[in-house]
Amino acid sequence: MKEIKLFLGPQHPGMHGNSSVHMYVDGDIIKRSYLLPGMLHRGFEKSMEKRTWMNNIALIPRICVPEPDTNEMVYAMNIEALANIEVPERAHWIRMLVLEMARLSAHLMAFGGIGGPTGLYTAMYWAQADRDLILTLFEEMTGQRIYHMYIVAGGVRKDLPEGIEKKILAFCDDLERRLPEYEDLVLNNPTILARIKDIIMLPEEVVWELGVTGIGMRSATGKEYDLRKVNPYARYDQVEFDVPTATYSDAFTRMTLKYREMGQTIRIIRQVLAKMPKGPVRAKVDDGSALRWRVPKGQVYSAVEASRGEYGYYTVSDGGTMPYRVAVRGASFPQGLLGIEKYLPGHRIDDAPMWFDTMGICSPEIDR
Amino acid sequence: MNSMNNNVADLVKDVEARFNVLSVDYPKDDQVSFDFDNRDLHSALSYLRSAGWIQLSILSCIDWIDENEFQLVYIIFNWENPIRIQVRTRIDRKEAKFRTITSIYPGAKYYERDVHEFFGVEFEGNPDSNKQLFLENWDDMPPLRKDFDSIAYSDSKYPKREYKTDFSKKAGDK
Repeated sequence: MKEIKLFLGPQHPGMHGNSSVHMYVDGDIIKRSYLLPGMLHRGFEKSMEKRTWMNNIALIPRICVPEPDTNEMVYAMNIEALANIEVPERAHWIRMLVLEMARLSAHLMAFGGIGGPTGLYTAMYWAQADRDLILTLFEEMTGQRIYHMYIVAGGVRKDLPEGIEKKILAFCDDLERRLPEYEDLVLNNPTILARIKDIIMLPEEVVWELGVTGIGMRSATGKEYDLRKVNPYARYDQVEFDVPTATYSDAFTRMTLKYREMGQTIRIIRQVLAKMPKGPVRAKVDDGSALRWRVPKGQVYSAVEASRGEYGYYTVSDGGTMPYRVAVRGASFPQGLLGIEKYLPGHRIDDAPMWFDTMGICSPEIDR
Repeated sequence: MNSMNNNVADLVKDVEARFNVLSVDYPKDDQVSFDFDNRDLHSALSYLRSAGWIQLSILSCIDWIDENEFQLVYIIFNWENPIRIQVRTRIDRKEAKFRTITSIYPGAKYYERDVHEFFGVEFEGNPDSNKQLFLENWDDMPPLRKDFDSIAYSDSKYPKREYKTDFSKKAGDK
């Protein structure tokens, strides 16, 4: 049969964000494939060099739409390392709360997102509805639903509103009660299992070759390589949680790990709310004005464990009021570009969206 | 800056004994940066990879236009011994060429394409490094260089929008 050229996306229910896979197919088997990124390239790294350190807070959450808080966190961590600022104790705990809630909402989006390519839209509707409840909590905490601009250098923008703890706990109880229903709907559903079991394998040596992190890595290697455990930031060394792992990485395993991580995240949120101390939430970075301050010279990299893997910024300061250079390490860069080129060929066309969903590929962070 | 941990000190001692390190810095307690001459960089990276720094987090570039140099930064991480290393080297800005590291870290392939596209650094040995990646039909100098002016580019490329109503007046002005 003759090979034909085919574009999957950018307008396709199975695609995650505005990117496209350019593939050559023989029948429905992919022979060669490349990701065509750049449709969401907005020049963040260049724009950041033209804005003050504080202005950038409004810009950076937009780099990753489903989980914007990791951007704010790594950006703030870099400034704090360069300027040698001690973050107030309470701010650390609030940051963890925000990051875990963001992880929960990103996991829900990806877990329900499997409904898109498999045709089980119920999963997507359920997950989006539950995610919306998290966004409502975020709105109350930060004033914004999607882009919170809440974690700033030196702490968080302001303290939590009164009574929010109760609402968060109520939501956690509610979601925990519903999690088994999700399991039945997705992980025990024969129609979905037929599409995700033993499909889109990720062998261990490929993990090391690509440099995949996050769930992809943990599902293939069986190692607890989670930055929250290995190299704790904020106060992750003071909460208890397990890192689910596996040694056989197909799409089903990765979905299962995502599901189990949601349970662990709820566990962390409860501990954070119980252990959070009282006190100030923000330290001053510099003696300059509130919006225009300087950061000492230096070059530093910080990373956090996002829902998709290691997410980091490399920040260079020349001592001025604006960053000299910021480089963004999108968590899905390796599996999104090299992974599609090398490991998608050999699979069927309809399996390609499974790679996108279960490897957590997020095109805005690849394009930047 | 804070109390340096012992593992970091051992690592620095080890690397300094094997290679000619131009300078060492400690941006964080668990992070260390080495500046190498660009002849030593590949052997240093191979050594560190075999010593457990298997994770290439990012490869990026900084344009030090005043010194007329590009600085390449390789950030690597060891999951068993959580120390992050910045391996850095400088290359000439006029003749921006460097050898690829894809034989050491295969995952660097697309990072090198990224750096090539945004800074114009050519990576010898990476067959795809000259292909376009993010910027479709780009026709100017690589955009993350410091002498690229994004506003001037946009002014020369696209006409300014013309408004029929003058919105610059304040509300209530006649």
